Amino acid sequence: MTTHRLAFSKSDTAKFISHLDLMRTFQRAFLRAGIQVRHTEGFNPHAFVSIPLPLSVGYSSGCEVLECSLLGEPDLEQIPQRMNAVLPDGIHVYQCYAGGQPVKALQYVNYIVTLEYEAGAPFGAEGAIRALLSRDSLVMEKRSKKAKSGFTQVDLIPLIAQATVEERRDTITLDLVLRAQNPGLNPDLVVAAIRQECPDMAPDFVSFHRRAVLDDQLQPWS
Amino acid sequence: MGLGMNRTLEHILPRVQKPARYTGGEYNAVIKDRSRVDTRVALCFPDTYEIGMSNLGIRILYGVVNQMDGVWCERVFAPWGDMEEEMRRESIPLYGLESGDSIADFDIIGFSLGYEMAYTNVLNMLDLAGLPLRSAERTGLSPLVIAGGTCAFNAEPMAPFIDIFSLGEGEEVTVELVNLYRKAKEECWTKEELLIAAAQIPGLYVPSLYEVSYHDDGTVSAITPTHGAPATVTKRIVQDLDKSYFPTAPIVPSTEIVHDRVMLEVFRGCIRGCRFCQAGYAYRPVRSKSAGVLVRQGIESCQNSGYQEMTLSSLSTSDYRYLLDLCDGLQSWCDPNGVNLSLPSLRADNFSWSLMERLQHGRKSGLTFAPEAGTQRLRDVINKNVTEEDILSFCRTAFAGGWSTVKLYFMLGLPTETDEDVLGIADLAEKVYRIWREVTPNRSRGVKITVSTAFFVPKPHTAFQWEAQISRAEYERRVKLLRDHIRNRAIVYRWHDPETSLLEAVFARGDRRMAEVLECAWRKGAKLDTWNEYFDYGRWQEAFADCGVDPDFYAARVRDKEELLPWSVTSVGVRPAFLWREREQAYKAAITPDCRRQCTRCGADQLNPGSVCDAK
Repeated sequence: MTTHRLAFSKSDTAKFISHLDLMRTFQRAFLRAGIQVRHTEGFNPHAFVSIPLPLSVGYSSGCEVLECSLLGEPDLEQIPQRMNAVLPDGIHVYQCYAGGQPVKALQYVNYIVTLEYEAGAPFGAEGAIRALLSRDSLVMEKRSKKAKSGFTQVDLIPLIAQATVEERRDTITLDLVLRAQNPGLNPDLVVAAIRQECPDMAPDFVSFHRRAVLDDQLQPWS
Repeated sequence: MGLGMNRTLEHILPRVQKPARYTGGEYNAVIKDRSRVDTRVALCFPDTYEIGMSNLGIRILYGVVNQMDGVWCERVFAPWGDMEEEMRRESIPLYGLESGDSIADFDIIGFSLGYEMAYTNVLNMLDLAGLPLRSAERTGLSPLVIAGGTCAFNAEPMAPFIDIFSLGEGEEVTVELVNLYRKAKEECWTKEELLIAAAQIPGLYVPSLYEVSYHDDGTVSAITPTHGAPATVTKRIVQDLDKSYFPTAPIVPSTEIVHDRVMLEVFRGCIRGCRFCQAGYAYRPVRSKSAGVLVRQGIESCQNSGYQEMTLSSLSTSDYRYLLDLCDGLQSWCDPNGVNLSLPSLRADNFSWSLMERLQHGRKSGLTFAPEAGTQRLRDVINKNVTEEDILSFCRTAFAGGWSTVKLYFMLGLPTETDEDVLGIADLAEKVYRIWREVTPNRSRGVKITVSTAFFVPKPHTAFQWEAQISRAEYERRVKLLRDHIRNRAIVYRWHDPETSLLEAVFARGDRRMAEVLECAWRKGAKLDTWNEYFDYGRWQEAFADCGVDPDFYAARVRDKEELLPWSVTSVGVRPAFLWREREQAYKAAITPDCRRQCTRCGADQLNPGSVCDAK
């Protein structure tokens, strides 16, 4: 059976739809659009869909992917338009294609993290953050479901492939390329490190945007 | 919000639980152009999003009002405590989910009052909107604060806070009121002028136009209408449900809600006449929708929403005359399209097993039904015309068919209840267990019989509106009595915590002096009182003491026939003399036939002149 992928973006109000709710939203949208999708078997059959690398609630993304199996021989070019007509605000499908690279080839994720400072970025923040991310090792405590204590130690540096820091008047933008999986790194841990190691540079608000998913050559994964 | 989110909101949402409740932007939400709208309406449900979005009445009124040209109706729910805290800290006033605009600037704010314990949420929401709580302190024409729903049938505890109550079904009267408001706005009427004119529309109760006086003993001595308001306000009904609006393009929440499925309302009213049941009296007369219309609306609703579950809704679904036709019609579409059809509210006495088997597709989920009382005598007192034989034969068929989970619902504290009646509950559960032993095809799988008891709350506009609620101590004694007599490990006993039932009994039959208590409790922090995380009975006890109000006067006192009841200004169409006769029949344990067998001349047929109640 052919696997199909829907590439979509998630922004505005839709940022706050959780991973499970998003899958349910797509399952219902397929029905509204009249697009036949392979269903699970059992007492409550529902569209078989999966979304690799769940996005944290509140993050926007321009590069989400939903996997499913479209039945019949649908015109893939028309799928985005048919889906967008029945999706809630903020979810926009821009491409539908068959096949693609395996999910395990998805090695890196590019995030744009915007640190906002109501009173302007503190003096020296850019340099301090750059220095922090250039350390040889940066060990943070992270919540873990597996560890008995509920916490585990993780060194961020080997998981950060690239990092650029850019200061504007009242924001600092981090352009990060992070390991995607096994193990992956959530950019909120990078922000937590800034808060912990450079408390004077702690932002008032942070927004996270997933810009691209990449393979091991740092080329776009699709 | 289809119109882009407010930045402050965007900053606080990552910090709260389930933020998708507060964003709007769901599929099928109605977005209008502000510049082409002259009247803004906020439809408020005084509980969380998950509860409020599960309410069919809200969905119907939302659609009805948004069908009006130039009017934009938005939804508003009570924020959970974490969100409320953030909103207050960042000075974000309560806003409509569709636009994100503050509802204080809206024209009309309407609340749905379905249960008494939500009253403090109404006060909290008015406060979060930045509005004065009391009607008299809101002097401008807008926002006009209105309320409807079952609790409006005794509006008195909320009377000082609400400008206009809408009694009964809102589909037509809401449109009439919105149009009256638009005229008032165009012609620059004062709020008082609008209220006086509104009182002339049937079904609208304007509490500020009535003066209430009291006897020395605390009972009401007179309710005097002023400014030409009618002496009694009778509820409104929709006469032809087939032609009435039904939301076939329902909003599909982007986060899970309590009833996350298509709800198809098959009829209104109930033929049964259970004497404790407010809904049974207040929603008369019985009016059905035709099976053909329902099949079409059910299919359309699924297609437009993508829901894969549909449920039939009414007070007693197995009493629907065309249930088999309806299920056939729906199933022939649902089965091939993978939609599950479920039927709650079935009765043990007229249940079709072939239908059940068909709908279940071999699944054996739990069965639930409500004998309400443990002995035939007490079931006759409450006019619950179900016999022990009905219940046991129902269970026999269920167990023989492979079912092994049964839930039985009862009430404790019904009028005339004795210890024998209480123990009757244990006996009945034991008989159900023995039937299971006798007929189950698979004894090794075991059985689970759950007995649940609620604490009876006498409600206005019922045959028991004159009754006293039993005391907390007595309720707890009966719970213990029952608990001690349920020894079988296959039978699980659950009982309702008495505290909210005690408060419900006070507010359900309260008068205007209750408003003081509500406001006082709210100032002490009462809100989200249906949630264990927030409910604090001590706070309410303090509020009663501070206001010098004895809750027993309202909950635990028998009223005599002559007493002027605070809610007598409102009528559900059923004559009080009929209710009194039903009460007398109850004390004789004499049953009254259901409406299908024989008309009891309750008076509700007069609401639908020229048409037959429960027509074929």
